[in-house]
Amino acid sequence: MIRKVTLALVASLVSMTLLAQTGGVKGTVLNRVDRTPVTNAELTLFQGAQEIATAKTDESGNFLIERLEDGIYDLVVKASEFLETRVNVTVNDGYVKNMFNITLTQSRSEIMDEIFEEFDMDDSGYNDNPVILFDQNDVFNSVAGYNFSSVRFNPRGYSSESQDVLLAGVKMNDAITGYSPFSLWSGLNEATRTKYTVTGSEVSDYGLGGYNGLTNIPANASNVRKGLRGSVLTNSALYRLRLMMTYSSGMNDKGWAYAVSASARLGGNDWIDGVYYRSFGYYASVEKKFNDVHRLAATFMATPGSRGAQNASTQEVYDLMGDNMYNSNWGYQNGKIRNSRIRKTHEPIAILKYDYTPNDKFKASATLLYRFGKNGYTAIDWYDAQDPRPDYYRNLPSYFWMENRDFGRRNMFKYAAAKEAWTHSSLYPEMTHVNWERLYDVNRNNLEGVAGIPRSKYISEERRVDQRDLNFAGSFKWNTNSWLTLSGGLNAKINRTENYKIVDDLLGGYYFVDIDSFAEREYASAAAKVQNDLDYYLAHGEARRLYKGDKFGYDYYAQIRNIEAWLNGRFAVGNFSADLGGKIGYSSFWREGLVRKGLFPGLKPDGTDYIIDGVNLSRDSEGNLLPTSYGKSEVKGFLTYAGKLGLNYMIGGRMRIYGNVGFFNDAPNFNMAFMSPRTRNTTVDNLTTTKTFTSDLNWQFTGNGFNARITGYYTYIWDQTDVMSAFDDMQNAFSNFALSGIDERHYGIEVGFKVPTPVPNLSIQGVVSAGRYEYTSNPTMVQTIDNSAEPVEYGGFTTLLIPFWKSTPIFKRDGSGNPTYEIDHYQRHYIPSTPQLATSLGLSYNYNYWYIDGDVEYFDGAYLDMNPLYRTDYATGGPDGIVTPTEVEYMTTQEKFDAAWLVNFSIGKSWYIQRKYQLGFSLNAKNILNNKNVKTGGYEQTRIVDNTVGNERYYRFDPKYFYMSGVNYMLNVYFRF
Amino acid sequence: MKKTRLFITALCVAAVSAASCEEWDPVFTGKYEMPEKVKPVEKTANTTIAELKQMYIDNGNKPVEITGDVMIAGQVISSDRSGNIYRELYIQDETGAIDVKIGKSSLYSDYHLGQWVYVDCNGLMIGSYSGMPQLGVEDETGEYETAYIDAQYIIDTHIFRGEIGKMPEPQEISENDLPRAISQGGFKSPLFGKLVKMNGLTYGAKSSYSTDHYKRIFALLYIDPSKDKGAQSNRIFLSDKTYGVTTWAMSKSKFLENLNAGLFDSARTGDGRAIDAEIKQSLRDNAAAVTMSQYFSFGTTDVQIRTSGFSKFCDNEIDPLILGDPSSSQADGAPVSVTGILTIYNGSAQFTLIDETGVKIINQ
Repeated sequence: MIRKVTLALVASLVSMTLLAQTGGVKGTVLNRVDRTPVTNAELTLFQGAQEIATAKTDESGNFLIERLEDGIYDLVVKASEFLETRVNVTVNDGYVKNMFNITLTQSRSEIMDEIFEEFDMDDSGYNDNPVILFDQNDVFNSVAGYNFSSVRFNPRGYSSESQDVLLAGVKMNDAITGYSPFSLWSGLNEATRTKYTVTGSEVSDYGLGGYNGLTNIPANASNVRKGLRGSVLTNSALYRLRLMMTYSSGMNDKGWAYAVSASARLGGNDWIDGVYYRSFGYYASVEKKFNDVHRLAATFMATPGSRGAQNASTQEVYDLMGDNMYNSNWGYQNGKIRNSRIRKTHEPIAILKYDYTPNDKFKASATLLYRFGKNGYTAIDWYDAQDPRPDYYRNLPSYFWMENRDFGRRNMFKYAAAKEAWTHSSLYPEMTHVNWERLYDVNRNNLEGVAGIPRSKYISEERRVDQRDLNFAGSFKWNTNSWLTLSGGLNAKINRTENYKIVDDLLGGYYFVDIDSFAEREYASAAAKVQNDLDYYLAHGEARRLYKGDKFGYDYYAQIRNIEAWLNGRFAVGNFSADLGGKIGYSSFWREGLVRKGLFPGLKPDGTDYIIDGVNLSRDSEGNLLPTSYGKSEVKGFLTYAGKLGLNYMIGGRMRIYGNVGFFNDAPNFNMAFMSPRTRNTTVDNLTTTKTFTSDLNWQFTGNGFNARITGYYTYIWDQTDVMSAFDDMQNAFSNFALSGIDERHYGIEVGFKVPTPVPNLSIQGVVSAGRYEYTSNPTMVQTIDNSAEPVEYGGFTTLLIPFWKSTPIFKRDGSGNPTYEIDHYQRHYIPSTPQLATSLGLSYNYNYWYIDGDVEYFDGAYLDMNPLYRTDYATGGPDGIVTPTEVEYMTTQEKFDAAWLVNFSIGKSWYIQRKYQLGFSLNAKNILNNKNVKTGGYEQTRIVDNTVGNERYYRFDPKYFYMSGVNYMLNVYFRF
Repeated sequence: MKKTRLFITALCVAAVSAASCEEWDPVFTGKYEMPEKVKPVEKTANTTIAELKQMYIDNGNKPVEITGDVMIAGQVISSDRSGNIYRELYIQDETGAIDVKIGKSSLYSDYHLGQWVYVDCNGLMIGSYSGMPQLGVEDETGEYETAYIDAQYIIDTHIFRGEIGKMPEPQEISENDLPRAISQGGFKSPLFGKLVKMNGLTYGAKSSYSTDHYKRIFALLYIDPSKDKGAQSNRIFLSDKTYGVTTWAMSKSKFLENLNAGLFDSARTGDGRAIDAEIKQSLRDNAAAVTMSQYFSFGTTDVQIRTSGFSKFCDNEIDPLILGDPSSSQADGAPVSVTGILTIYNGSAQFTLIDETGVKIINQ
């Protein structure tokens, strides 16, 4: 026992006189299911709302808090992957109160980060990066995070960019997009298991955060559970096998701790062909505690590997294939499935972290973090050849025959032929999947370039986004006196991301050429103008020939610099506490072109125009100077700031009512600021910061096996910008659409509870998330033609209002059911992809190391991602320019996905062997009703059917969808000692 | 305890074996071997192209849906590499040539010059486009006599690629051959659709009903292509003179350059309206590549050399030696030899260059 006590971690005490501080509290924190110790659990002792002391459990789950004066306290216990609990403690007569065992309820099973890994949306401009609910201490997040992940639930409808994810105190959200970067460490679950999370707009010790929570993953050796752990996992929805082995020494007597971990994720799955993992993970961390004051940790980790991606298709394709899991990215090569879209990554992270704890009242840390390596995504590229995508719209039956005669597609013979192929995919795989053999054949036989040497028309290219990301984060926490705790910090980032393409595979040919095939459609006879590398062309008189590994297409740096300081004060008086904090910073970014493109060469170094073969490349047909692709763009800089106020009132130790308000002024991300960064330096006009106001009110109860939270929230976000690129049939050109002034509103309630039933060991648990996440403005749009940078004029104006962005007018019907011109009501448009209503109700049974969970879930109110073009007067007007109610309703309505019921079931058990080893398993079955018709996301294509027979109206292209997989399981067998 | 261990061991074994189970399609992530080269198809034709075209004549010069075992064979003589031929493939045998309306782009990727192509005509349709024989499928709208084949399933089950042979030499035709061929018509004459060479063309053509200008082009512009293309008020014919256009056709950028330079200011709409600022703005807003003909004479016969606005050589300047004096009303340009595909359109000869090398000034 003495040894255990000496191993207990540091406790801190504030605002008490030493003479009276003779009592204390001690105990052991255990897992309620298997009675195993919970290490690194955080214990915080409160008196009212005032934080008195904090401590952590040691490797045996023990804790000790000393030097307490007599009184009644509330002890809050939190640990990663367990629900928070609160217990009352009374210290009297100066004794150390022994709490014996405090048991924690395990939160839901491990969330597979991988189910969130981004969909393959490169071609559409659509992104659907999810939010992960890391906060497993909270009952709502624990249940929703696991149960709702399969429908890509985003809490409160917020986007991924709004969630702050920190590694060792450094914000890791992608510098270009702002997305959560979980793929950098997914697969290293054991090493990154410890997490410190706050929800909504609460303030964390690690940063002021935003309005969508903050999670810090310390990832240093002493935060990895001591001992050797191994697990074997198989599942049917992602990959066949995950092997993971982790060893952590714990902190030894000399103050050293080290931890290593390695993992492999391998194989395909039951549902989507072509999707596979071949990913590995490695992690090493060493930590030295010099004394109680200084601590230094060095960590190095990465998850190298590759994985095959899936793609979205239209419902027509899914129906023809009889499979909503059809993936158009792959085809057979020599009888083997080959996926054209492979994510290949190796982005190591090196961390050096220093902690300084001079006394119980002050602690500070400083982290230097460097991320580097490569991140690539393959795709088929082609020049002067047919579109190789099997589900290209001209390959589908609907291209040949449509019931609606206005489409002018009336050839039943061709329709039947196309349908024959698509409905007998196994007989005609070359038509319904990527026809690799044809691509090789075409390349080998293309001898019309350099005599006798085949030039590839099709290649596999790898689009690289290689980051060099250097970060510094410093923070402190200072208990100044009994009623004020200050925390604050300084963060700085220097990011240089190189965006370029390389030739990944020449697919049977010997070389490729560096020509812009889109430009060539328009400037076929101006050879200099279609060059991706004009300088090479001018020096050599021909387009550059490309070989495997060569850079081509585009090459530019995204340069980003951020600096930010934050400060928060926590005031506590009696049962009341308040947080008041703010941050201020400056963000800047610019583009730096590394190659000179023929379309946008800028001026020569001597300031004159590029005039090649009589064509002035530097200017448009009206003599205006075109933007440049080469060199440094204008630097965009933004002052950012935020303020937060949080109020918290404790009632009886286990209940608290708290609320937060906040205002944020955030810089736009790089990817929202440049019209077409692959080709030129042009930025979006009138670029401004995004503003957010948020507020929430919460009630929470924790203790005695009860956990419950009810939250109401309201958030308003305005002045957002967005840029998307797509082919526009009305302009007959690849176009860029820059949207400004996108406003949205999010409000609703969250309820989460887990309560014991009269049946021993049986709890009932449930969550409800009911909200409205809706657009509240009609933004403006500037469209430019990619080849010319020329803003498209609509009625003489280049800035176009999108009048049907936030809602669709629904018109009154006449006696025949036809719409009249009188508006009946407006149908709102919603933030897409995430359900606006998500509910779960289940039972949880724990007994004798067994756990059994079952849940029924219901989702409704998920919507399709919209494109702006369909919601303009020009799209609704059609060729004749007359906007009719029928066209407005057809073209602008946002599709709502069907509601869905799902049932999940989990079972698990662990065994202790010789009181030393632990073996266990968990089996999670999801969607056991095998519902294969649940749409989890999708997007509208930007394209329009504009050559209609009646010449009066346009039609949409069919949207593309993603579906959830049917019944799937995950079996995890693990051992620990 | 033994039981427990046994159970756990069994679970581990089950998990690992489940992960490697044969019934799951294994995922290959190694280096893919190159597919074998596609072997040329070997088939035997039972019908000549002339016999195929005769079916149309035998049907009273009406489109025929071919039934039964009708297999033709021909060598590829066209290439869409330069972009001047689009979605069509010309093949020829010893008896004639035919335009196969495959309906796909970049056909030269799959069908190489000189390559033997076998077409199982069963289910296909032979018809005419303004006199030019075409092999496609039935146009169920009735607008045209044939439609593009373009459904991959039909292509793969009807059109087969054989050996790549020697590219046939172009057939030289004389000034006298052309009027005779025109009088025979597209289905009777073996020349239409064939690779031919004509020596001695000169720039310009005899006056027509619409103009007295000897040197002229033909192009049709739509003021707003999204509106009724049949309305004369929406059409501008550039057909009565050259308008100063000295290229084979006009890409979008070339058209805009010419428009902004005022080259078309003197044109009229189909209903006689002058090109005012409003029309000009609409032309600018709806600018697109312009497919165009340049008029030449071969003896006494007009030949329109028709070039796509999407071809890679469309903006290339025609040699001034070929054009001669733009204001001259006689054939004062250098005579040229042209090699390409001869076609017929409403009783007039048209000529399609496979690429710009098909034009040579004689004796230069």
